[in-house]
Amino acid sequence: MINRTIIISDSENIFKLFLSFCCLFCALSSSSQNEMETDSLYNFLMNLDEVVVTGTRVPRLLKDTPIQTRVISAKEIERSDATDIQDLLSQIMPGVEFSYAMNQQTHMNFGGFGGQSVLFLIDGERLAGETMDDVDFSRIDMNNVERIEVVRGASSALYGSSAGGGVINIITKRASKKWRADLQFRNGRHGNRRYMVCLDNKFRRFSNSLSATAYRNDSYDVKNGPEPVARVISTIYGHRMISVREKLMYTPVENLKLSGRVAFYMKELPRDIDMPERYRSYSGGLKGEWLISGDDRLEISYAFDQYDKSQYRRSSGAEYRNYSNVQNSIRAFWTHSFSSGDILSAGADYMRDWLSNSKLIDENKIQNNLDAFLQYDWRVNERWEIVGAARYDWFSEGRLSRVTPKISACYSPVRSLRLRVAYGLGFRAPTLKEKYYEFDMAGIWIVKGNPDLKPEQCNNVDLSAEYTRRNYNFTASVSYNNVRNRIATGLPHAEPSEPNQLYLDYINLDSYESVGAELSAQAAWNCGISARLSYAWTYEKNIRDKEGNTFNSQYMPPRPYSLTANINWNKFISKNYSLNLGVNGRVLSGVVNSEYKDYYDISAGVTDVRYPPYTLWKFSVTQTFFERFKISATLDNLFNYRPKYYYMNTPLTDGISFIVSVGITI
Amino acid sequence: MAWAILSLSSCTGILSGIYDDPEQETRITRAGQLYLDASDWTQWHYIDFKDLVDKTEADPAFDSSSLWETFPIPMPDRGSAVENTEPAGTPSGIYTYWYDVFGVGIEKREFNSFSPTEKQAEPSKWSIAIHRNNVRTNGGSAWRSPYRSFDEMPSGTDWLDNVIFSEDEWNQTDVWTVQDRMLLGLAGNQGIKINNLLGQWLTMKIPPMPPVFTHDKSVYVLRLSDGSYAALQLADYVNSAGTKCHLTINYRYPL
Repeated sequence: MINRTIIISDSENIFKLFLSFCCLFCALSSSSQNEMETDSLYNFLMNLDEVVVTGTRVPRLLKDTPIQTRVISAKEIERSDATDIQDLLSQIMPGVEFSYAMNQQTHMNFGGFGGQSVLFLIDGERLAGETMDDVDFSRIDMNNVERIEVVRGASSALYGSSAGGGVINIITKRASKKWRADLQFRNGRHGNRRYMVCLDNKFRRFSNSLSATAYRNDSYDVKNGPEPVARVISTIYGHRMISVREKLMYTPVENLKLSGRVAFYMKELPRDIDMPERYRSYSGGLKGEWLISGDDRLEISYAFDQYDKSQYRRSSGAEYRNYSNVQNSIRAFWTHSFSSGDILSAGADYMRDWLSNSKLIDENKIQNNLDAFLQYDWRVNERWEIVGAARYDWFSEGRLSRVTPKISACYSPVRSLRLRVAYGLGFRAPTLKEKYYEFDMAGIWIVKGNPDLKPEQCNNVDLSAEYTRRNYNFTASVSYNNVRNRIATGLPHAEPSEPNQLYLDYINLDSYESVGAELSAQAAWNCGISARLSYAWTYEKNIRDKEGNTFNSQYMPPRPYSLTANINWNKFISKNYSLNLGVNGRVLSGVVNSEYKDYYDISAGVTDVRYPPYTLWKFSVTQTFFERFKISATLDNLFNYRPKYYYMNTPLTDGISFIVSVGITI
Repeated sequence: MAWAILSLSSCTGILSGIYDDPEQETRITRAGQLYLDASDWTQWHYIDFKDLVDKTEADPAFDSSSLWETFPIPMPDRGSAVENTEPAGTPSGIYTYWYDVFGVGIEKREFNSFSPTEKQAEPSKWSIAIHRNNVRTNGGSAWRSPYRSFDEMPSGTDWLDNVIFSEDEWNQTDVWTVQDRMLLGLAGNQGIKINNLLGQWLTMKIPPMPPVFTHDKSVYVLRLSDGSYAALQLADYVNSAGTKCHLTINYRYPL
């Protein structure tokens, strides 16, 4: 009861904070309404003229898209100073949290969905490889990113497996100038260094974009207080990373675009100084976009992505690979626009998924995935738009097939208000790991795959309202999810033949429900101030296994309440000098997790373990000279938050940090 | 670029040649080096240096990766008595302790229970016994030299006359044997004499979790119960699959 009271008090405080900021918004917006010049300025500030593709796979203006899409613009990314997607989402998106395993592998919680149920795409292509069921987040670096589109809710009707909780599509920049070079260096605590380079050039029908990032930070120890209530982290591991991306585009004729890309990524994680872990990815792709006529468009693409894990031995210089995931995909996507404005889309994909894992029974496994989908975007009239989609997926492993529908409707009673409702079925096919894994976890137990797993399924309903007037915008959304057969590791158990050997099998859980809501307010004033506030609430009904036992997830539950805030002031002091001040913060409520008193005797029941709330803020000053030279100073963890205990969902910080970065654009 | 992508891409990936092949990992077939899989939590592996040297001298190509004897750690009979008070003296058995594995670390521990067992079985002749990172001597003692290779050591044994050697000591907290309640922080240890000094060639530290092993490549000198000396060096402790406590030991016997 005490815990619940504290959580409620957290929620009240966070909600009050949200309302206070909203009042400030309204006051500021009403005082500056007259200063607002045009809709186009507003659209520019609010990104509404941004083209988005993720919601329907068809390019649409953000302000017109029938699917609720959150766009994180290049400007927001730059202001956040984020290095990778984990860094960015935890700063900007409420309801998104990253927690850790004992060895600090990262797991994402996205409004109640784990990282395995949220599909990450780079330029529309999937990423190979996983650790703790999540993609390698540091692989998705924020250098040369044009925007990020976040679509919440089941999206399997367009994207297939693993899109039950939503899709996060990272769109990289295309060269837009004849010649551009960006160089940036950042320096912070704990040996933190970051180098970024971007080179763009356009020559006649060719354009080229090359970006490279190098990053490093050191490991350091942190102290925990006495008597922690759960497992704690004592060393925060640093890592070294290098990433290179190259994108070449060729436009032989006006209605045909050809592009090719290659990328390389490598991370070294010295958890063990003698044997650092290494992670590498190689990816490449070819894409043709043909505007057959004014109404018909065809896209054909091939993508290759490989993700390797290995261990390097300093003593012998040998390096042994213990994991490799290779995905080869071919895609075709066609759209036809009708004179009425309706759009018909159809597509088909083939993916070959090869997994080699020393912890897998038989080590090597292959899965083929074929799919076809159809979507019709019906502009009923000026106020109504309805989009229906369905997709058929077939997996060779277990000869599994699934049909996933989605229907969305968008209604605009007046120009400033858009109401959206969507129903979708999401699903996630069991991965090869979940079916065939066999991993002895340091003698404690063996995590074992289950070939009989059923696919996860999620019925999702989303309702949202978006009100846009002059220089401010409010969005409210509610989502309901009914999740069936969620795949997770179950309770430890022993086989009668081996009473001393514990097994942790992958199982399907019983159905459960989750509800989420998000409120967001943003405003931009032509005095140079812009602000965004977002508040999220997530509720998960008690999750149980098929036998009715309370499920004790290996991952942390979502925090019920969270808030993110971003306020910026950008001012041209003179023709050759501009100043930007930014405050970025997040507030997360505490969370209560029911954990077994005795993992080996579940009849002993569960106990509520409360993980404390926290708030982190960042203040940055950026000075730009001659529109080319930038110097930034950032105080990260502004209020010097030092966790008393480093639990698995505690932010990995040991206090205030001063970061300096310099950049030049040529 | 198109050519590069199409030619390089493969259904089973590219650039596998940058990695070493575990199958090609050479294992010990020469005199003076021993490879031992000591990763099992429930076994002691006994090595007799005299026997080892005799066999490898007789056949230099002899595979010394099998020149040891293995004896299981005795476990309590199912249903046998469990005592919740710490026994007096040093009776053989499994001493279960609660360790603050997931908190401040294993230095913080509390006695939990004791289950008596048979005495540890052992061969008639042996010099040292190894269980993961733990080492016992057969009435011998050990000293850590300042040398990093056998070639740096003085010849003969006179220089060892004034060295202080460390004998085996009773231990009931480090020979982790039973882990089936580790998530509760409970580990069962065999109560037995071990050589703490020689065991420093590979130490395990918690936190962090997973544990970190510290490898000391110093040359250790072992004085056997018959007064002869052996030089030992732990050359490596991991196999190609990354499993710890696969020991590669350099040895020289007698000095």
